[in-house]
Amino acid sequence: MEMTSIDLDVDILVIGGGVVGCAILRELARYDASIALLEQYPDVCEGTSKANSAIVHTGFDARPGTLEARLLAEARQLWPEVIARLHIPYLQTGALMVALNEQEQATIAREIVPKAAANGITLQPLSRAEILEAAPYVNERIVGGVLVEGEGVIDPFWTTRAYCEHALLNGAQLFLGERVNAIEVGRRRLRVRTENGKTFSAALVVNAAGLWADEVARLAGDHSFKLTPRKGEFLITEEDHGVAQIILPVPSEVSKGILVTPIVFGGVLLGPTAEDVSDKRDLATTTAGQQRIREGVGRLVPAMTTASTVRQFAGLRAVSSTGDYIIRPSTVSERLLHVAGIRSTGLSASPAIGHYVGTLVAETLGLRLRTSYREALPEPLSEATHEDGEVVCLCRSITRGEILAALRSTLPPQTLDGLKRRTGAMLGECQGNLCLPRLIALFQQELGRDPLSLEKHAPGSRLLVERLRHLGSVPAHSGERPKRGQ
Amino acid sequence: MRKVQMSVYTLEDMLLMENMHEGDYDVAIVGAGLSALSLLHSGGAALGRTVVLDYQEQVGGLLRYLLPADGFGTEWELLRDFQLPPGVSLLLQTTAVGLLPAHDAEPTHTLVVRRRQGTMQLRARQVVIACGGVERPREHDAIPGTRPAGVMTPVLALQLLAQGYLPGRRALVYGDSRYALATARRLAEAGLEVITAAPTSGNGRSVRLCGTLEEICGFPRLTAVRLLCDQQSVEVEVDTLIYATGLLAGTHWLKGSGVALTAAGTIAVDAHYRTNIAGIYAIGTVVRPGLDHEDSVRMGKEVAALLPGGVS
Ligand SMILES: Cc1cc2nc3c(=O)[nH]c(=O)nc-3n(C[C@H](O)[C@@H](O)[C@H](O)COP(=O)(O)OP(=O)(O)OC[C@H]3O[C@@H](n4cnc5c(N)ncnc54)[C@H](O)[C@@H]3O)c2cc1C
Ligand SMILES: Cc1cc2nc3c(=O)[nH]c(=O)nc-3n(C[C@H](O)[C@H](O)[C@H](O)COP(=O)(O)OP(=O)(O)OC[C@H]3O[C@@H](n4cnc5c(N)ncnc54)[C@H](O)[C@@H]3O)c2cc1C
Repeated sequence: MEMTSIDLDVDILVIGGGVVGCAILRELARYDASIALLEQYPDVCEGTSKANSAIVHTGFDARPGTLEARLLAEARQLWPEVIARLHIPYLQTGALMVALNEQEQATIAREIVPKAAANGITLQPLSRAEILEAAPYVNERIVGGVLVEGEGVIDPFWTTRAYCEHALLNGAQLFLGERVNAIEVGRRRLRVRTENGKTFSAALVVNAAGLWADEVARLAGDHSFKLTPRKGEFLITEEDHGVAQIILPVPSEVSKGILVTPIVFGGVLLGPTAEDVSDKRDLATTTAGQQRIREGVGRLVPAMTTASTVRQFAGLRAVSSTGDYIIRPSTVSERLLHVAGIRSTGLSASPAIGHYVGTLVAETLGLRLRTSYREALPEPLSEATHEDGEVVCLCRSITRGEILAALRSTLPPQTLDGLKRRTGAMLGECQGNLCLPRLIALFQQELGRDPLSLEKHAPGSRLLVERLRHLGSVPAHSGERPKRGQ
Repeated sequence: MRKVQMSVYTLEDMLLMENMHEGDYDVAIVGAGLSALSLLHSGGAALGRTVVLDYQEQVGGLLRYLLPADGFGTEWELLRDFQLPPGVSLLLQTTAVGLLPAHDAEPTHTLVVRRRQGTMQLRARQVVIACGGVERPREHDAIPGTRPAGVMTPVLALQLLAQGYLPGRRALVYGDSRYALATARRLAEAGLEVITAAPTSGNGRSVRLCGTLEEICGFPRLTAVRLLCDQQSVEVEVDTLIYATGLLAGTHWLKGSGVALTAAGTIAVDAHYRTNIAGIYAIGTVVRPGLDHEDSVRMGKEVAALLPGGVS
């Protein structure tokens, strides 16, 4: 190995700050070992973990016998405790799978119900009348369906952040804005280098780089798997039309189909599409995609065909050729562990993936549990504290107190989108166009951030290009308050 | 001395006033934009005990960021010369978050408002909703493409300029309302290279490019937009897009209040600006969110004459 100075020496290094990497970091923090996580973006939860349906799936439709099905089943047991200890916003809405014709009804009976049974889940068949009574907004033309009671929706940003904060509380270290671009595999240790020129040394490296996990593997000389992106477009509406359950179509081979999903913090999510693309950065929304969503949801909840939208976005599923999760050591070293191909259930399975990987790593390195470990995050701010201060985000009634609490948290936002995901500000109708200058000012006031350096999300997404040279050219408005007349 | 002069009350003042008697205010006005200022200007002291509240730090609504500007003479005069009439309390950085209309047991309307000191209730016999709206962002019209930095509405661009920052170097201003074009001029004065564009079906004001916005390109910062001009897709290289296509009535805080809305999402009013609930009026953008209308000032005037106890 060539001689370079080491910036940080740890027992375990995790690459990737998505929901998977952060869940793993949290489990590793239970052990008596030094651990760190590297994430290329200025915040955690900037990859696929921020753009998904946010459903905690039961795994009723997973292929029985796969690692995915097994971990989803384990996660079902783990979620209640995780939600309670990390105070994660979660709503057990249940999901209604509705059949639009006799053929779909037959598919439910022939395929869906037995598959769920094999996964340990009993589905409750419902008649057309029962569904329309429970969910009057559903298309009247349905012929029947099933209820999947255990499905629910969660805040994926909160989940990822809370895993990370919990690990930090127990001694983990976090390095944001560090993109791994070289890995040297030694016999006892691995060296990981980042674009910023930092070198990390670790006894074991966990590759949780999501869609880029194949490229991270390749940095170490491992060409054993390939991931391709499958785009899923969404749109958000604030018109809920009474939607209180997840409404699922009868799925096809390619995807779970286009759904109608309540959002835990308000509004309804419509989508996703499923389209194989070639560029791993292609997150553009398209006219065709939005059109397909409208058609898809129209069949389930007709009112959604024309519901007004406040936002569109897209996420990329990491599709592997194996069709299952890839959780195994690399072909080049036992000390590089891949956690990849977590295609469309990573959020749901995250507590179990964390536990599974944590146990694997502890066995490999012979780790013991730490003697002092904090089981839970401190309670989030009470409602009363939240009300402190005037409204800053008009569309969502988010107060100054809520913004300040986020800026002062253990894992404060570094970007405007980071602040958005922590507080809900800028998520409403005006998309932040009214309150953004106030948020910039609070960033500056609390974190000393020069407004010129503030980015929206990814590196290079600065909002302001320079200071105005001639302030005089812009008429300044008098800040004076009007006085009472004579 | 100073305290008597001040029209901005502290929480303590407010509570004191609230304790005085039931239904403290004759009129509560939500929003201190042009329509509210016009109402206050015409109605003056005759309105009775009046409170006006606004989310912002200053009066003048969304237009405040643009004024003074060519073509906005009336609006600027109203704002420049505005004086708060005697007997009117102005509460800034005070946002209405809910409205509970009067009912049998409670003959006055109650506004739930949030301000620095916390949440509180204001009671008034008559409420004028003059809360305007927000600009339609690109997301509202589901314009396809990427989601880079550099896409914004006029109000955001103007606020950034007012804070002393350039939001970009080369901007396309999309929209041909009076407001869009005045924003384009302001950006050009600040040193940006500005291209104006609007759909061909626009109002005939002169813009450089005629076409419909098709796609937003580039990441992490905007690099170009695509317009469909005469059935040809044209790529325009810009680092900033000012999306100026219209306004959305600001009615979200009225959810559950019983105030009826139109299919277009504006507050439904009759010819006298009365909503479906007795004693609750609505004027300005919140009833007519067109970008070019010049009605707000007139609506304020008219409603001043209509309010019981108002001047005629
Ligand atoms: C950019 C632009 C250009 C226009 N050009 C003209 C024009 O030249 N002439 C004209 O007459 N009309 C014009 N219009 C149309 C518009 O109707 C304006 O007249 C005017 O801005 C509307 O006045 P308003 O009082 O209804 O709303 P606004 O001026 O938007 O004022 C509403 C005020 O209410 C506050 N507010 C909103 N919600 C709450 C709440 N829940 N609690 C407390 N406060 C709240 C807001 O902060 C804002 O200050 C324009 C509108 C815009 C935005
Ligand atoms: C359309 C869609 C809908 C979905 N719906 C659901 C659902 O309802 N429920 C559910 O459970 N799952 C759902 N999923 C799946 C879920 O989102 C993913 O399984 C999960 O987010 C994967 O998490 P991750 O941590 O593996 O990946 P990511 O979140 O992508 O995290 C990987 C991280 O690694 C970082 N990284 C990459 N390369 C490097 C490098 N070289 N150096 C440093 N850092 C690097 C990235 O920046 C990224 O932050 C959905 C997915 C999509 C696309």
